[in-house]
Amino acid sequence: MSTTTTRRIEYLPRSRRRTLVAVALAGYPVALAVLAALKHTGLNRWLILAVFLLLLLTTVAALGVGYRYARGRIDGRRARLDERDLALRQQAYALSHRVLAAILIAVTAITEIYLTNGNTLRLDANTFWPAAMWVIVYIPALPSLMLAWIEETDQPSDA
Amino acid sequence: MPDQQRRVYNRLAVLRAERGLSRKQLADNLGINYQTIGYIERGDYNPSLELALTIAELFRLPIEAIFSFKPMTPLSDAVFREPPAAPR
Repeated sequence: MSTTTTRRIEYLPRSRRRTLVAVALAGYPVALAVLAALKHTGLNRWLILAVFLLLLLTTVAALGVGYRYARGRIDGRRARLDERDLALRQQAYALSHRVLAAILIAVTAITEIYLTNGNTLRLDANTFWPAAMWVIVYIPALPSLMLAWIEETDQPSDA
Repeated sequence: MPDQQRRVYNRLAVLRAERGLSRKQLADNLGINYQTIGYIERGDYNPSLELALTIAELFRLPIEAIFSFKPMTPLSDAVFREPPAAPR
């Protein structure tokens, strides 16, 4: 990644970062929901695939920016973390834990309501893989995304 | 302990400019990342006591000359303001 792009990501305003985090978190479930909805419309397969891939690429790009923004402060790639970095990392992990707990509670509640209404839940490749992909992609990325969510906007140095 | 920290005002930007130091140079002297200097200067981050004391030591100033809970007066005011007239 070029230095200019890296610096632009570094100085992204918090409002824009929060939009990207929301896109990153919602992108994959939205892409799957759109795919499921479009499958029953009789639209051209290639068009459905293009829409799905577009949503997926947007999600991946937002995830990439979020990961890049953390600049090695979450995974420990940065050699020297100062006291502010360490405090931010701690806050990001705490927020990730809260977000993850909220998601798990919501998924459990929705599943419970779905099952008590007489529906059955079939665990096959069509349901397992999207869920597994979500866990594989989002759980490691969540702390970086939360760091991008909480950090104040930085301003380039004038001196 | 309250979640919201008290705002700590500081003269870091003025002192840094006075000594012709960039954020990067000051950060390197203090062993912190250069972004942290910007966050402290804007009041977005309150440094730890250890870091505040290290900054005071580096500038050879008392800590209260750099950090305060009250908004800082301009340095020129602090240096050149005439002392109040002595009572007769």
